[in-house]
Amino acid sequence: MSTNAILRTENLVKTYVTGAVETPALRGVSFELHKGEFTAIAGPSGSGKSTLLHLLGGLDRPTSGEIYLDGVALSTLKRDALSRLRLEKIGFVFQAYNLIPVLTVLENAAFVLELRGVRERERMTRARAVLAELGIEKYANQYPNRISGGEQQRVAVARAVVAEPSIVLADEPTANLDSKTSLELIDLMKHLNSERSSTFLFATHDARLLDRVNRLVTLVDGKIATDEVRDSL
Amino acid sequence: MKQAWRHLWRNRRRSILTLVAVFLPVLILVLELGLLNGEQESLFKNTVTFETGHFQVRSSIERADGGALSLMKDPATALAVVDSVPGVAWRTERLDLPAMISNGGRSQGVVLQGVIPEEVGRVSPIGRLISQGAYLSSGGRGVVIGVELRDLLATSVGGELVLLGVHPDTGIGAASVPVVGVYVAPDPAMGRGVVQVDLGLAQTLARRPGAVTSIVGFVDGVEGPWDQAKVEKVVADLRARLPKDYKVLDYNELAPELRTFQTVEKPFHVLVMSIFFILGGLVVLNTLFLSVVERTHELGVILALGSSRRHVMRMVMTEALLLALLGAAVGLAVGGGLVAWAHAAGGVQMPGSYSEAMRLMNMEPVLQLRVSILEYLASGLAMVGVALLAAWIPARRAAALEPVEAMRHVD
Repeated sequence: MSTNAILRTENLVKTYVTGAVETPALRGVSFELHKGEFTAIAGPSGSGKSTLLHLLGGLDRPTSGEIYLDGVALSTLKRDALSRLRLEKIGFVFQAYNLIPVLTVLENAAFVLELRGVRERERMTRARAVLAELGIEKYANQYPNRISGGEQQRVAVARAVVAEPSIVLADEPTANLDSKTSLELIDLMKHLNSERSSTFLFATHDARLLDRVNRLVTLVDGKIATDEVRDSL
Repeated sequence: MKQAWRHLWRNRRRSILTLVAVFLPVLILVLELGLLNGEQESLFKNTVTFETGHFQVRSSIERADGGALSLMKDPATALAVVDSVPGVAWRTERLDLPAMISNGGRSQGVVLQGVIPEEVGRVSPIGRLISQGAYLSSGGRGVVIGVELRDLLATSVGGELVLLGVHPDTGIGAASVPVVGVYVAPDPAMGRGVVQVDLGLAQTLARRPGAVTSIVGFVDGVEGPWDQAKVEKVVADLRARLPKDYKVLDYNELAPELRTFQTVEKPFHVLVMSIFFILGGLVVLNTLFLSVVERTHELGVILALGSSRRHVMRMVMTEALLLALLGAAVGLAVGGGLVAWAHAAGGVQMPGSYSEAMRLMNMEPVLQLRVSILEYLASGLAMVGVALLAAWIPARRAAALEPVEAMRHVD
């Protein structure tokens, strides 16, 4: 593994079994992700993008192969340790925003810090700063159902980056947004990537997002078909 | 906590129904305990003022036939000891002996109570139940009989009756005495079988001057069964000081039904009440289970973000705790308010036949509701405990969710 690789996979295989039927989703995926990269995993539906993201995020276990995050082999971790690793090292952005409806925008943004046990005053200060950076501080006291989809996704991004994780995994983050809002969100994430050196890994087939990443990994039938670096980091 | 509170109000109607299910058992238990305690207090007062006093000193000699109390060997010594014990507020002497009472060819076996008329009112209601004639006076020669016995003997106030005192220790004594009063007994068996005469006359019939079978006493500051410890202390003191010729019995030993109430009836009612608590717990379980099912996707997200299983469990348990605390608080407030209101209003008037039964027992048909602080708090805590137990199942289910599968759940 190269010195600044924060994520590495070795021959990842994931096969879903339903009764006697086996459905291979990943057929041996190996790659490295380096600090500060703004990378997309693209591919047609059923190519294994979401499956790969779930495995990388420790939300699911591979059938075989290994994932190393900051040098830690995920297969060695038990359930609680894996939860702890997700909390400390990974930020998630989901396609459907998945904000907690009973929490305000500010509380949603601070939620991961709360899980980490950060004191209320500090977590609110940090969350408010990220909301300001993403241009949604004015919604801090609103509930998610009172703001637009684009604004909700910005809150989800704020929640993902507020604790400064090693990597942010985003699954189709622009799929539910219109063009203008998508571009604004992509610009914001790019801004966070350059200003904070946050590492982003997207699963997407949004061409607008694919145009902005500096590395593009293409999956076809559960295997890496291409791995293209667009510019130097 | 804030999050759990907001979750509760996501489905306002369901939460309110759950609160009612939590609040009702607490309210009902508080009122039930209030009534039971009131009933127990009433039974206590009735028993000690009707017959037993708080304690009695008797001869320690048990008769094999069991039909008569043994005469005390040296009543003066026993009285002196009773008078010397701190905490004894009052005492009187009594001579109970089996007797035969006759009017011409009609006769009836009775319990003859020789009493000091001016004193006995504290432990016998007969003086207050006179319907014809008058009650006894000290040194007077006369007998007070029940309405039933009057009819049985076909006599009336002023009629002469023959009394035969029959005590195994002394033999038979006889006297002819007039009926001075007729009383209406709360129980026909009492009206047929209990007569009262002056203590001096009873001693004549027992053929032993100064004879006594019981010293009946009251203890200072005893208002109800909750003051039992004060009685026990005096009884223990008396037992330590009296010669072995005497035994001391407290009201529980003299009227075992009081102890039965305390040890059987009250716990039984409380056990029946636990059904309401179980139902309340099941409603809490149902509410939280539905809430967890509805929030499966959301819980999956929370777990995906890195929440520990313990944190998710705590979330659900906190909701249960809030529901239980709120419901119990309302139940205690309403229950406590009703108890206080009933107290201020002078008690709860018992309905119809229950009221009649109490009157027959010479009891006021009004119960004072009483709930001790301990019972009050225990009622609320019991509901909180049941709710938390019930919440354990949905909480475990929530904590066992797999993030990816849970996030696939569609509301």
